[in-house]
Amino acid sequence: MSLNVDSAAVAFAFKGGMLPMTVMELNSADPEQIRQQLAGKLSQSPAFFQHTPVVLSVEKLDEPHLALERICAVCRDHKLLPVAVRGGSEPVRQSAWALGLGWFPPVAEARTRALESVNTSPVHEVTREDTMSETPAPAVATRLYRGTVRSGQQVSAADGDLVVIGAVNAGAEVLAAGSIHVYGALRGRALAGIHGNAEAGIYCRELAAELLSVAGNYKRSEDIDAQLRGQPAEVHFTQEQLEIKPLG
Amino acid sequence: MAKIIVVTSGKGGVGKTTSAAAISTGLALRGKKTVVIDFDVGLRNLDLIMGCERRVVYDLVNVIQGEAVLNQALIRDKRVENLFILPASQTRDKDALTQEGVAKILEKLREDFDYILCDSPAGIERGAQLAMYFADEAIVVTNPEVSSVRDSDRILGLLASKTRRAEQGEDPIKEHLLVTRYNPERVTSGDMLTLDDIREILAINLLGLIPESDAVLRASNQGVPVTHDISSDAGQAYSDTVSRLLGEDMPLRFHELQRKGLLSRMFGGGRR
Repeated sequence: MSLNVDSAAVAFAFKGGMLPMTVMELNSADPEQIRQQLAGKLSQSPAFFQHTPVVLSVEKLDEPHLALERICAVCRDHKLLPVAVRGGSEPVRQSAWALGLGWFPPVAEARTRALESVNTSPVHEVTREDTMSETPAPAVATRLYRGTVRSGQQVSAADGDLVVIGAVNAGAEVLAAGSIHVYGALRGRALAGIHGNAEAGIYCRELAAELLSVAGNYKRSEDIDAQLRGQPAEVHFTQEQLEIKPLG
Repeated sequence: MAKIIVVTSGKGGVGKTTSAAAISTGLALRGKKTVVIDFDVGLRNLDLIMGCERRVVYDLVNVIQGEAVLNQALIRDKRVENLFILPASQTRDKDALTQEGVAKILEKLREDFDYILCDSPAGIERGAQLAMYFADEAIVVTNPEVSSVRDSDRILGLLASKTRRAEQGEDPIKEHLLVTRYNPERVTSGDMLTLDDIREILAINLLGLIPESDAVLRASNQGVPVTHDISSDAGQAYSDTVSRLLGEDMPLRFHELQRKGLLSRMFGGGRR
């Protein structure tokens, strides 16, 4: 009996996987042109177009803004299922996320990142920090958002920290590759270190969050100590768990 | 050029139509030529609240689809000069509304009127989005309860992104908060959110506060906008709201618990 309870408690496990994936490298950003040529391909090999997941690579395009939504719609019309975007400018990345797609860094960068993520033992962490101090750290973009982040809205900082001067209301979501600072009440969901940066933190003037997450380690609202509710608080990932404590 | 004001909330049953009727009546009573449009196609109620349900011949959808001209569909209010009602269709569904159609109607109305009030349906679907799309100002109707506040918050997010002003990068829509069904007793006892709670979460300018009142129920069932019942608390509160909308500075009333005096206890006066 107890075994049953245990297996029910573990609802899922995260596993790494290498799946074959078709990359659709775009040479044109014109949805109409893509549509016409896809139609031609579809008639040639209909077997390929069976809701095939594809990664849209936009590295060859030099345009900061893409009609990503329309391109995706064209793909779906031809039974291709875009699951992610690779490369492209910051707006492209934002709109990929807004469309519910993943985003991959361009190929060269991706390879180094993949290596980094393999070396996750603490020993390597230290050496990495050492090498980091030798080469000047790249300037990370901090995103500043003034005003209330309202229910249903999503504000993200893909490369760096996110600073919100205002409240994050219930039903809203703030995300950052780095840390999240909320100079107001945090009533919604806050996800820091979305690319895996476990050093990231969450800081807020009034803690009433629905969900707090640092590098994928999360706590739900009901896991938060009632004494910390409504108080200024900071959140870090330390000793393999999410630690929430009064600010300061 | 008329000002287009949307009355919206996200959540249903909070008092959008009542407020649209009361505020448009109040504006007309101050001599402003006003039209109030029901965008709730399929679930129209505004005609009932305004007491003109027996005079509806053509409606918004007829005009959009070219089956009638605008003047045939506009209903003149019997009680106040300068007030017109454009009813919604009860037999069509919300997909009958098109953005171009709505744009054309509003463009025409803009020439003749001072104020155009759009009574939005509940929800965030097509009807609600069209009602808010062309607005210059928005009155967000909120009840002192958690779900209503959250839905209003969602609507405020949409007002800042899914409207003509937002899409064209013009000055943002002016947002006003209207708190309705406020019951100071239940707020004090902790059953309802306080005015301060609501204002803190929504962080927009307070336009008015309407107390929970029998006068509102009576008014909607009689088809007489509550603004006409000037002896009632709700009627006065809507009147204050209209004054603030016109830029006057009015002190806030009806938000605190009134201690009943001996006389009112004996004669049952006061709150009506």
